[in-house]
Amino acid sequence: MATPSKTPPGADPKQLERTGTVREIGSQAVWSLSSCKPGFGVDQLRDDNLETYWQSDGSQPHLVNIQFRRRTTVKMLCIYADYKSDESYTPSKISVRVGNNFHNLQEIRQLEMVEPSGWIHISLLNQRTNEPISTFMIQIAVLANHQNGRDTHMRQIKVYTPVEESSIGKFPRCTTVDFMMYRTIR
Amino acid sequence: FRVAAVWQALNHYAYLDAVFLAERLYAEVRSEEALYLLATCYYRSGKPYKAYRLLKAHSCSTPQVRFLLAKCCVELSKLAEGEQVLIGGVLNKQKSQDDIITEFGDSCTLTLTLTDRVAKGAECFQRSLTLNPFLWSPFQNLCHLGEKPDPDQVFRLSSLQNCSIALPPQSVSPAQNPSHRLDTALMETPQDTLELNRLNLESSNGKLTPDLSVSYIDSSLITPETGSLLGSTVSMASAGSLLAKQNKPKSGRSLLGGPSALSPLTPSFGILPLDPSPGDPTYLQNYTATMETQSTASNKKVQRHTSVSRISQSKSVFSQSGNSREVLPIPFNQTQSSAPHTSGSPQVLSPSMSGPPNVQPRRSSRLFTSASSTAKENSKKLKMKFPTKIPNRKTKCKTAKTSNSSNLNESLDILRLEPGLGLPDPKSQYQRAAADSVMALLRELGRGYQALCSYNCREAIHILTALPPQHYNTGWVLTHIGRAYFELAEYAQAERLFSEVRRIESYRVEGMEIYSTTLWHLQKDVALSALSKDLTDMDKNCPEAWCVAGNCFSLQREHDIAIKFFQRAIQVDPGFAYAYTLLGHEFVLTEELDRALACFRNAIRVNNRHYNAWYGLGMIYYKQEKFNLAEIHFKKALSINPQSSVLLCHIGVVQHALKKSDAALETLNRAIGIDPKNPLCKFHRASILFANDKYKAALQELEELKQIVPKESLVYFLIGKVYKKLGQTHLALMNFSWAMDLDPKGANNQIKEAIDKRYLPEDEGEDQVDDSQESSMTDADDTQLHTAESDDVL
Repeated sequence: MATPSKTPPGADPKQLERTGTVREIGSQAVWSLSSCKPGFGVDQLRDDNLETYWQSDGSQPHLVNIQFRRRTTVKMLCIYADYKSDESYTPSKISVRVGNNFHNLQEIRQLEMVEPSGWIHISLLNQRTNEPISTFMIQIAVLANHQNGRDTHMRQIKVYTPVEESSIGKFPRCTTVDFMMYRTIR
Repeated sequence: FRVAAVWQALNHYAYLDAVFLAERLYAEVRSEEALYLLATCYYRSGKPYKAYRLLKAHSCSTPQVRFLLAKCCVELSKLAEGEQVLIGGVLNKQKSQDDIITEFGDSCTLTLTLTDRVAKGAECFQRSLTLNPFLWSPFQNLCHLGEKPDPDQVFRLSSLQNCSIALPPQSVSPAQNPSHRLDTALMETPQDTLELNRLNLESSNGKLTPDLSVSYIDSSLITPETGSLLGSTVSMASAGSLLAKQNKPKSGRSLLGGPSALSPLTPSFGILPLDPSPGDPTYLQNYTATMETQSTASNKKVQRHTSVSRISQSKSVFSQSGNSREVLPIPFNQTQSSAPHTSGSPQVLSPSMSGPPNVQPRRSSRLFTSASSTAKENSKKLKMKFPTKIPNRKTKCKTAKTSNSSNLNESLDILRLEPGLGLPDPKSQYQRAAADSVMALLRELGRGYQALCSYNCREAIHILTALPPQHYNTGWVLTHIGRAYFELAEYAQAERLFSEVRRIESYRVEGMEIYSTTLWHLQKDVALSALSKDLTDMDKNCPEAWCVAGNCFSLQREHDIAIKFFQRAIQVDPGFAYAYTLLGHEFVLTEELDRALACFRNAIRVNNRHYNAWYGLGMIYYKQEKFNLAEIHFKKALSINPQSSVLLCHIGVVQHALKKSDAALETLNRAIGIDPKNPLCKFHRASILFANDKYKAALQELEELKQIVPKESLVYFLIGKVYKKLGQTHLALMNFSWAMDLDPKGANNQIKEAIDKRYLPEDEGEDQVDDSQESSMTDADDTQLHTAESDDVL
């Protein structure tokens, strides 16, 4: 009997942000949940605090809907899940769907997690072109939890868009300080 | 008596006492002077709104009262009202008009620039400058407005002005006064006397401790409006007072170069006589006596100005002899009587005093003048009120200060006269010499500053570095040279200078926002966060500190926090254009272009010549692909700052986007001509050549660039593309792989794509399939949970 290997935790998204390659854009979106327990809602999901969490309060699948004002390129999602603290509330199967509105969603990724203990990075790159997807809406669906729990805890979700960083010209980012110094007038 | 007590309290910065006493005085004696005194107390204790309401409730007829009201209006941003008050005053007596016009310039700027009457504002500044060439802030404001006042013209002392200026500070040599009094002198005198008064007031504490005296000397030196001369005179005064006190005169002396030198000067500078008679109640008597004699001597030629200056002198005496309270009232009363009238005759004082030695008359005259001048001073230059109060002043004052001290020393040396209460004439000569040296310094500074404001940076650097070392090593000069380097995009040099400023004057906040942007460009996050912490701890009320904090977080890519700090900077000071610009840049980085546009427009509203804001607008339009608009805005920015190679580079790229490649190349050539070290210009020139199929030239350019910036992946990327176009796949691949290596974060999909497409150069059709295979392979990886670094996996 092979125990499935535990999902390794990913890097802290803050580190990612500091590289300047991605930018967190969750603040530009409207977040909604399929259900939640009072006091454990969207605010707790988006408060940058790993101690607070969203607790769902309905039937599966539990949904997190992220709607943008305009079509946005999204490169990756980061979800914080911790089996040790959430146990049966920890999601085990997550489906990511994108589309224009609620009726237009298409699943682009489905992933299984085994006893996660940190940040899970879900990269949302287009299958064919390897480009980040551009969408109006993202829906994260929790299809199953560990130990077949009914409700789920989710501690933090972050949405990242790639930073073009092209101040002028259609070129990729420059790497040296010397170049970057002259890139812009501040 | 109460009036004297109030003035004494003011002198000693005991504002609560001053206000209390003034209120009682006003309640008892509802005269205009008392009203003025009370308003002054309010204003000085930092509550202009109280003074404003008080003065509004009562009609003001005397010019000084009106002036105070106008000052309050300016502080409270009631600019139209302030202007009206001043103009109303102009219609008054001639004298008041002159006084007002001098101050008019300063207040006018605010009013006029805000109401877009820039030309009129500039004119007012010019006038105020002609009236008093020691004024630095009108000159500075003129530079800001984009006018180009000629420093040689401005900072020039006519013989008349010389004397008039010299006279007020002295406040003692009435003989001099008369000979030089003219209308222009009149105008200057009030200001000077005002300044002097303030200085005297400050130096009044010279009696107390040497430290105080030193500080007073400093404060006296920091006369915002007037030049160093006043400062010197005041410092002399304070030094003199020190001497008089005999209590640790050393400090004063050390600063001023010796008591003996002071003594001859004191008369001319309105400093207390050398005789160290400490806090002697008879002082005043003596002073008054001397004043008497002096006044009699000068009476013949005395004009109103004289009395004013004398009054200021007496004022200083007054302040100095703070201890001997009972004596104070007497001279003060005298001054009181003369205070309201600039044309008060000095004789008013004299009768009340007995006739002591010659030395003392100085003091008394000073008392006299100071008392009256306080009135005037308040009406005139309330700005000068707190030397330490206004940071802006401080910067200029610093130069004035440093120049003052140097001039003082010079003048001290020059003025080594016999301790006798010598003739005014030699003194005036010395004063003129001192004033001339001050003027020369101001000229240099003015030239440098003006060059900087017209973004003639190399010239500015050249002029400012040619200053004598004692001036060069001051915060003001170094900051401005640092800024000149910053505008030239020579950030390393700028950083060096700014860190020197921090070492010399750690309390300086002006110019720190430029330093923070320099560090931002150089990506020195440690230094930047240290600076930010230091400044925000030191002064939470200045916009520069919050700008630095915002820059710090922006460098850490925490744009939301940076936005918060920039907004705080705007809250602290809505007139600080750079905060708006920085906020706009942050919004651009968070892709909120509408808000960014609004911010940049705000910055332009505050300061029309803020070329960074014009640049920001151009950038936004470029992002939105509105290239025409972008070009227009960039060109506008360029018209303000014609020597910025970065701007030219951007214009070149925009022109290329507009398909005007030849113009683009020409612009880029210009940019490279101005600043050959700018690698981006060469890079863009190479890319335009590449786009125009001029591969050889592009390659050559890129090879040169490789030498300059060997670690830049973009260079190799472009070289790779050129080789690819030329069909030399080997070299292309090699360069692409170098580019990939040099790009540690591996986020450059473009490079990956370029390499992908290189894999199968022969068959374009297969490329697609292979590309998809490549990407599907990578995608398969992606379906697994992976860390961010897996992006590098290829």
